[in-house]
Amino acid sequence: MSVALDTGLEFYRHVLELRGYRQQILSADIANASTPGFKAVDLDFQEALGAVAPGEASPERPRSSELAWLVDDVRDLSPAGSGSPAGLAASVKYQVGTPVTLDGNSVDLNQNKVAAAENAVQYEAAASFVSQTIRMLTIAINGSASQQSNGGS
Amino acid sequence: MSLATALAISGSGMAAEAERLSAVASNLANANSIVTSSGTAYRAREVVFRAVSEGGGIEGPSAIGMAGVRVAAVVESAEPLRTSYDPSSSFADDNGYVTMPNVNPVEEMVNMISAQQDYQANLEAFNVAKSLALRTLAI
Repeated sequence: MSVALDTGLEFYRHVLELRGYRQQILSADIANASTPGFKAVDLDFQEALGAVAPGEASPERPRSSELAWLVDDVRDLSPAGSGSPAGLAASVKYQVGTPVTLDGNSVDLNQNKVAAAENAVQYEAAASFVSQTIRMLTIAINGSASQQSNGGS
Repeated sequence: MSLATALAISGSGMAAEAERLSAVASNLANANSIVTSSGTAYRAREVVFRAVSEGGGIEGPSAIGMAGVRVAAVVESAEPLRTSYDPSSSFADDNGYVTMPNVNPVEEMVNMISAQQDYQANLEAFNVAKSLALRTLAI
């Protein structure tokens, strides 16, 4: 049986990345709550996840045999910079149904605050899933959880 | 890294709202300044916000999603200056009227409350992004 050591982690990497990106977008909405003509935007999370992890909609799906970091060029390992993750532009959409003020601004402050809080909870959830997965792998490597805690103390 | 960018965006929002608050403070402080360095009555200042994206130009929702906010300009209010009848003042014109600033205290107070709320919202967004970044370090 061959199982890659990062089983499931790759999926949560995408989730954390997208949740972080959505947090950034909601922050931009809140920062521009008084900017004339600014139209509120949001990230369609489900669509974006489908775009960056096609076919990987569930973490249980068996991984393909080739590993992601078998790259030809070390530069491919560097992060994509601070810009938007590639291929996500289509998933960023204008918020619809929010009241537009006289100066053309469509940011609903309360709605955005709620969305940011909800997004933060989802981010925390994904982060704790990663922690659990790593703990599971550690148990598998060390043989037992107690052994791990003994080793740590 | 998107969380670091989120922190920067919230920071730009707080800076812009602080500038708006200082404009309000300036207007309220000068509500009765009938002479300024230019020799005329004080005119109310208003800040103009502008969304700025990292890439520079603004096209479509994806670019706006990256945007912070910046004070593009501080303009003087176009409201007509008030006049009050005070013949004894040394600044009165031939008819006995003194030109007063066009500051509307009610408008300024509303503006101040709005700026305060927006500042708080930015601060909350900043704290959420910060706690998420710390949570990521704890993995």
